Amino acid sequence: MKTRNLRARANCDGASRGPGRWVVRVLAALALSLATGLSFAGDEVAQPIEFPHDIHAGKMGINCMYCHTYARRSRVSGIPPLRKCIGCHQSIESVKDKPRIKKLFEYWEKKEAIPFKKVNDLPDFVRFSHERHIQRFYFQLGRPVEEVCGYCHGNVRGMTVDVKVEPLTMGWCVACHQKDHPNGKPGVVVDPARVIYPRMETADRPAQLVIADTSHGPNDCWQCHK
Amino acid sequence: MKNVQRRDFLRVLGWGGASASVGACGFTSIDSGVETVKSYVEPEDFNIPGIAVYYASTCTQCEALCGVVGRVRDGRVLKLEGNPVSGINQGKLCGLGQASVQHHYNPDRLRAPLMRQDGGLKPVSWTDAMATLLDKSAATKDGRFAFLTGPVSGHLKVLVRNATESLGSNQHFTYDPLSTRVNRAAADQLFGAESPRLLLDQAHLIVSFGADFLDTWVSPVHFAGQYARFRRASDSKPRGVLVQIEPRMTLTGANADRWIAIRPGSEGVLALGLANALLTGKSAASVAVPPAIATAAAAFDKTRVAAETGVSEEVFDRLVRLLRERAPSVVLSGPSAEGHVHGSSNAQAILALNWVLGNVGKTVLLPPKLPFPQIAPESGDTASLQQFTAGLAAGKFDTVFLHDVNPVYSAPAFLKYKEIFPKAGFKVVFAQYLDETAREADLVLPVDSALEDWGTHLPAYQPEGLELTLQQPLMERLYPDGTRSVGDVLLELLKRRRPEEYKGFADYYAYLRAALLRNRSAFVDAPGDDEQFWTEALSKGVLRVNAQEQHVPAKAANVELDFAGATQAADAQYPFRLAPAVRASLRDGRNANLPWMQETPDTLTTIVWDSWAEVHPATAKRLGIVDGDILEVASASGSLKVQAYVFPGIHPDVIGVPLGQGHESMGRYADGRGANPFRILDPVFDRKTGELAMYATRVRVTKTGARGHVVKDEGWKSGNLKTQAGRKLVVTVAADKAKLSEEV
Amino acid sequence: MSLEQTLNDWTQLRRTHPQPGSHPDLKWAMAIDLDACTGCNACVVACYAENNLPVVGKEKFAAGQAMHWIRVERYWNEADENSPEQGAQFLPMLCQQCEAAPCETVCPVGATNHTADGLNSQVYNRCIGSRYCSANCPYKVRYFNWYNYPEQEKAWPAPLPMQLNPDLTVRTKGVMEKCTFCVQRLTDAKNTARNEGRAVRDGEVLPACAQACPTSAITFGNLSDPYSHVAQKWRLQRVEINKDKQLKDIDESHPGLRGYRILEDLRPYPSIMYLERVRDNQA
Repeated sequence: MKTRNLRARANCDGASRGPGRWVVRVLAALALSLATGLSFAGDEVAQPIEFPHDIHAGKMGINCMYCHTYARRSRVSGIPPLRKCIGCHQSIESVKDKPRIKKLFEYWEKKEAIPFKKVNDLPDFVRFSHERHIQRFYFQLGRPVEEVCGYCHGNVRGMTVDVKVEPLTMGWCVACHQKDHPNGKPGVVVDPARVIYPRMETADRPAQLVIADTSHGPNDCWQCHK
Repeated sequence: MKNVQRRDFLRVLGWGGASASVGACGFTSIDSGVETVKSYVEPEDFNIPGIAVYYASTCTQCEALCGVVGRVRDGRVLKLEGNPVSGINQGKLCGLGQASVQHHYNPDRLRAPLMRQDGGLKPVSWTDAMATLLDKSAATKDGRFAFLTGPVSGHLKVLVRNATESLGSNQHFTYDPLSTRVNRAAADQLFGAESPRLLLDQAHLIVSFGADFLDTWVSPVHFAGQYARFRRASDSKPRGVLVQIEPRMTLTGANADRWIAIRPGSEGVLALGLANALLTGKSAASVAVPPAIATAAAAFDKTRVAAETGVSEEVFDRLVRLLRERAPSVVLSGPSAEGHVHGSSNAQAILALNWVLGNVGKTVLLPPKLPFPQIAPESGDTASLQQFTAGLAAGKFDTVFLHDVNPVYSAPAFLKYKEIFPKAGFKVVFAQYLDETAREADLVLPVDSALEDWGTHLPAYQPEGLELTLQQPLMERLYPDGTRSVGDVLLELLKRRRPEEYKGFADYYAYLRAALLRNRSAFVDAPGDDEQFWTEALSKGVLRVNAQEQHVPAKAANVELDFAGATQAADAQYPFRLAPAVRASLRDGRNANLPWMQETPDTLTTIVWDSWAEVHPATAKRLGIVDGDILEVASASGSLKVQAYVFPGIHPDVIGVPLGQGHESMGRYADGRGANPFRILDPVFDRKTGELAMYATRVRVTKTGARGHVVKDEGWKSGNLKTQAGRKLVVTVAADKAKLSEEV
Repeated sequence: MSLEQTLNDWTQLRRTHPQPGSHPDLKWAMAIDLDACTGCNACVVACYAENNLPVVGKEKFAAGQAMHWIRVERYWNEADENSPEQGAQFLPMLCQQCEAAPCETVCPVGATNHTADGLNSQVYNRCIGSRYCSANCPYKVRYFNWYNYPEQEKAWPAPLPMQLNPDLTVRTKGVMEKCTFCVQRLTDAKNTARNEGRAVRDGEVLPACAQACPTSAITFGNLSDPYSHVAQKWRLQRVEINKDKQLKDIDESHPGLRGYRILEDLRPYPSIMYLERVRDNQA
């Protein structure tokens, strides 16, 4: 079954970051794309301004969330508002006359939003929350941003404009969830002081509160399907 | 706190992320590079794509003026919820309030001014439209200008009045087709205030003579909240009992413990009969009852009451017993009792029962005194429209402005409004749709929807204290070059006419802000800092006014009752009475172009997308009428064709036809649909106030021979059944068996 | 989804009796007080606004193809059908989110399942439109998209699409839909709660109907939280979700109880408890 093959190949062990892993992924992606006719792997999408992630995130080392600031608090990570680009570039003399920067300022003068094309797009019936994933992997587990964002978006530090590198199909997402949230896993222990039952006597509050695994896919269709 | 200038922020907002929605081809695709995603340009920090922001405003769909909060995502308002801060609706909202978004996003909204040229209305620019408006106004001689509006309060009323005065006139007429003037006049006479505070949740018994307080009367969402508490029992209070007395079952009547079908117009007789029974053995003076009531009541024993009202002696006795046993109570008067030639006397007799029962000071109180009469609500009435029409007919007006009214549709046909309207020299109509009245205008100015506009409002019914409600735009204008705020237009006129006074205000927003800041001391707990005051006011949506409490008088003022002509002999030619019922969804017809309001089933009949004539089953049997028969309902003033619906909740001598449909011009959802009962109302007026007597029209009913199919929600699951046929779907328990005081 | 998981789900589906303890911490339920419900239909309109329901128009409404996920049924008392002295009977009817839902077992493709927090889910893009589920539903609260409302029927002429709620799909032709207890709001609330490391508080999230209702006739909450409003109501009425006969039906010595579930004898174990309408016969 295709699902099994993908799981075997796209192992999210997180540790190895060698080129081999990427080859395997690209091969798998290509295979899937040939099989299902989906176009995702590797196609560069023409953008109104060819934004170089390799300079900003790569050379400058800017954290993804400096620009994609909504990722930690919203379902979308968001294209940064134009003001964010201008915030830095209004003082950067060295690139002021570059064609892309000039184009940027043109948009700013007209107060017009840049119509970027969406690269990593999910269908309209899918509910995906960036916030939950960032909160869990970046803030709670403290994993580095290359791993957290890179898991789905690939090695963005090496790209100019963003390129889709993962299939982002349901099976691909389920594979990771299946590994981390298999059925029957014991529930999450929560600090009972943070649970407020308005009419509950303090003495009656439990010493420990276990919340069953009710909000993780994949076994609850409605977690991800709108 | 940062300078939160919403107007500035909204101005530079881009559409973020909204493109990925319906309309794009292949919306199930996970292709790369197909859909567009735009960033914001310069957003406020609190505006995060994917997370909603809530702004407070006021719902303007009826005179209750509930507080709302609008859920705004990515710069567009999606849905309204009730504002928890508002003392009126306390976080709840009715269906009509929800439908405000459909006025805002309506596909048939006017998007450009129209001017009459060569016999037709042609689109013109706002520059030309305003130039014409200002020129025509300037050229109007003193006393030759008139302004007709719907019910209005707050600062828009100030601008309307001042604009009228600046044009050398004092003719501001306010028209409400669903006028409550008779009720307000009677309440004022008996209690000292037009809109007394009613504590329904403190009452043990409510006896309502046709006041549909759960659906359409005065402040329905507020009363519904009180009603919920009224029905609960506690150790100190039993479950409240509701008795509804009316010729045609309203939603409130459908919830009554006892619904009494009464001969239309005889409500005053019943009230006097009850007063008589209750006053037996008491001296009138001891209960502070108006002497005229006590005198008149003496003539009505229960036999006479039964003969004149059709309410049996047994029912009468039960009602008297209820009124004696359950105190405090509250007695209400509604349009079906008031819409007669003796309507004022009916209302007075009914409301006087509150004095008889000792309710005044317990469940009937007075609102605080309003310190600012210039923003006090003008509630509107039909007498005002008649004055306006008389002025038109006499050729007194060279320029007229109309706002928030549609008299060509809603004025009773006998007024011949459409024929008389052209007698005004230059007619400017402010409208959202090209409705019947706008079609007759010389200049049509498209206005902002309620969700795009600024404003202040003073609700006529104040549940507690005195609240001034604020209205603010929930998003940028949909048609920035197409529509304008009425306030802005009037301000521009005033800047031309009274430059010294008004030149300091850039626009209506600036005017409102300045007015409220200047009068900051009028409001409770107003912060001293300008920005803080304004931000807090906008974020709450409500300002509480420092107002002096008023107390009910020790006894009632005397009244003058006049029941002459009350009991008319039956008219052989027009044997039935018309009950032109108000539906909460359509009201006076202004909401007929809202698809949700057309599609939501009528509460009592479940009929959708049409009008109907309610016929009692016995009457239907007698006349051989079945559901779907197309009837001609004719009065001396006009006739309608409408489908029949056999309906048990009506007096056998009454035909009920709902108001609100029968538009000829409004939009795709409203046009050519149903019938308009305003067309057939007879010229009968309440003797005291001159108000149109809406329930006094007499009609006859004839089958046309055609038969249609009544489209309704009932019965599709189970073969047109109107009852549960033995299934236990809605189970009823007797009040003495239920242990409500033990419930949570 | 793995084969093992599918088989697990299938075994769960096949159970005819819901297991106590299957929702240890989160089970969404409602209590609707028919004495507080006035039949005003505010809930109906709020649902249209929140859930992108299409307006079908007069002809399709006549064909029984209205899409109101919650509807208010109006009945007359049989005894005095022609002279209703105690008013009308109103029943807000919506998906009962049955614990042993008759619709879940018959879907040929498994488009309708039971979620971990006790809702009956409807997955639009799995649905192939067999309509077996709506045939099986005893409450008739499932609504089928007979037409392509967004594109062909032009149910939302511009600019009405701007009102649409982006948190849920706009359904196209051939899929079944029904009340979801506003799952989009519930998911948001659960996410917020999870971010803060706590459980969802009672009253923190309400479906659109409960939020709009002017008399607060609809109580909504977590039945597994013993201190929630809705759990208290169920407990006071001695109605238990996993039983098909309640104390009221078995024991006559509790006449004051007025909680019941509709068509309970068919044993779908609905999650909505209705409180009997009250009328005072002294009036």
